[in-house]
Amino acid sequence: MQVINAESVWRRPRVPWFVTFLALRLVWALITLFLFLTAVFFFMQVWVPYSWATQFLLGGPGAFEQAREAAGLTQPLHQQYADFMLGLARADLGTSFGGASVGDMILEALPITLTIFIAGTVIGWVVGEMLGRVGTWSSHRLSGLALSVLGVLSAAIFPPFLVYVLVRWLREPILDARQAMGLPSDSLELWRGAVIGEPGALTPGEVRWLIALAMVAALAVGLIVRAYGRRHQLAVVEALALPGTLLGAGVGIWLSGLGPHALDLLYRADISASTGRGTPALALVGIVLISFGQVMLVMRAGMEAERGEDYVLTGRAKGLTERAVRDRHVARNALAPVLAGSFLSFPTVLAGMMIVEYELEMQGLSSVLFDAIEFQDIPVIMGVIVVLGLMGVGFRLLTDLTIASLDPRQRHGRA
Amino acid sequence: MTTLGESALAPFPQRGRRLTFVNAKVLAGIAILVFFGLLTFAHPVLEATIWAGRGNVYHPQFGFDSGIGHPSAPSATHWLGTSSLGRDVFSMFAHAARPTFLVALAAGGSIAAVSLLLGSVAAYRRGWADGFISHLSDAMVLLPAMVVVFVLGIGRSNEEFGALQVGLSFGVLYGLGPATATVRAAALTVMVRPFMEAARVAGGGGRWIVTRHVLPHLYPHAAVQAMIGATGAVIADSFLSFRSAVGEDFGFGQMVYDGITWSTLMAGIAPPPWWIMLAGAGGITLLAAAFYLIGVGLREALDPRLAGDPR
Repeated sequence: MQVINAESVWRRPRVPWFVTFLALRLVWALITLFLFLTAVFFFMQVWVPYSWATQFLLGGPGAFEQAREAAGLTQPLHQQYADFMLGLARADLGTSFGGASVGDMILEALPITLTIFIAGTVIGWVVGEMLGRVGTWSSHRLSGLALSVLGVLSAAIFPPFLVYVLVRWLREPILDARQAMGLPSDSLELWRGAVIGEPGALTPGEVRWLIALAMVAALAVGLIVRAYGRRHQLAVVEALALPGTLLGAGVGIWLSGLGPHALDLLYRADISASTGRGTPALALVGIVLISFGQVMLVMRAGMEAERGEDYVLTGRAKGLTERAVRDRHVARNALAPVLAGSFLSFPTVLAGMMIVEYELEMQGLSSVLFDAIEFQDIPVIMGVIVVLGLMGVGFRLLTDLTIASLDPRQRHGRA
Repeated sequence: MTTLGESALAPFPQRGRRLTFVNAKVLAGIAILVFFGLLTFAHPVLEATIWAGRGNVYHPQFGFDSGIGHPSAPSATHWLGTSSLGRDVFSMFAHAARPTFLVALAAGGSIAAVSLLLGSVAAYRRGWADGFISHLSDAMVLLPAMVVVFVLGIGRSNEEFGALQVGLSFGVLYGLGPATATVRAAALTVMVRPFMEAARVAGGGGRWIVTRHVLPHLYPHAAVQAMIGATGAVIADSFLSFRSAVGEDFGFGQMVYDGITWSTLMAGIAPPPWWIMLAGAGGITLLAAAFYLIGVGLREALDPRLAGDPR
């Protein structure tokens, strides 16, 4: 039991709460990461290498032993474990069986995945939160039923089928829009410099990173402006914050002269693949559709539970508008379980997003992972899983910070 | 509108006020499960009656109707049409629920077992055991169970990695991760309630207190996690079946694959065989939705404010 004395309760904190909060959370993240990496290592070493030797059968006698030697699998287990952890500490993910550096493979694929996963999650989140908040507050029985059915469908749909439907109905309009914008149908024109290896030429990798970073920055600013608008009841600011900042980022990229290149990348999975089924725009739609449902259902349940509380009556009695009661009081209370739950549903949603990305043939992390599984390329599989874990830690830190900013009770104390 | 007294008591199922776990969502989920259960039993009945003596036409895997071209649209002889290989889609549909049930059962059972064991031990022991278990479950949340099942399943034969193995490996990973985190949080709220003090005063040992006083309060929370986890297991198994990596050759995922492949091959020549895709995707979505509905319904009945991890 915690001993409470007057001094520790009433002493004024000298540093802003989020400094100590973040420091504690970072320590938490390091311990968790250590356990996670250890689990990944033993899982892959002990469990998986079942028949991965078959790919070396064609290499002639001795090829398998050579590969084991090169991958360090002949060393004792504790030595391998130490090598793996020290390599990670130096940001070295090892070498794939194909000979390429795993780190480079992942760095090439990462901007695509980051762009569509982060944008998809944020938009899905905003849509789900809004439907849950507004839809529940003024709900008729019928609209409530419709929202519940939609939410369950979103959580239970089979991603490959969703992708098939999306490609069938949306691919043509998107490609038409691309032509209407006057982009060349053969985008090799745009990337000629990169393809023939001209020094200093703009490469798709650079532009992808630029798009990813610009979009993440725009989303962060947009979410903060949106929260500010909500808090101060500026409906227009709240509604236009996200579209406005995203549009702003787009205009910024266009003005910097990279517009056609960026737009071209948004319309195709890969410049070398003319047959790719998907576009990042389609992947975004798919991810929003599979991620908004869970958020909406938890938000709905929270709003339903809170609407009977006494502070709602107090708020109405003192003359607050219905909107203020809903957004500033009820939604704020209903939001904490949504945020905490969203980390626990992170693995399921992440896997769904990876299936969508893979089925749309985007050249992102999921392609790297599924191809590696196909070829039993263990270092690559481990690398991708490690990067997914890092993304999860980042996501957890962000949700924890948001919960703490909503609920002062969560700001102090251990992780 | 709830009164003050009622709302204050809401999270605690106490004497005189029983929690009801039956709401519209739970009922809808159970109804879907009953539908698939009946369908599973209907298959052998149909084989013995309407399809009697026509096993070569209606066998879910080897059936072929030589009288018509395939894939054929739904008709009186083939209620849901036939697949591109000439199999009867209704027969496949009724049969494919079995392995999927097994996956869900294995996943749900292992999730409940793992999370109840670790969650109650962590909350009862506290100290280093709690520290280790809660950090471990935080770490396992980072390792998506579905991705791990893909790593294990793709490339292995069905004998080696079938429905049971998919369900168990998914369940253990999900159970160690999100399920243990949730059940542990619920167990912590049980530990501070007055009857725990009474049980200790009465001289109860650790095992007696945990099994008689802690676990009964955790069963509903573990059931929620088992159901929501089973949703993921069903989708993971279907994706493996879709990639023809696991499951029988005529699972729901395989049906979707059949339809998509045919419509891609015949794009512009023949209309896509919607009946195969819809039967497959519908089967997956309905079954997954059934488990999800029961899980979400139970969670809302428990207390929506405990839906997340109340740290």
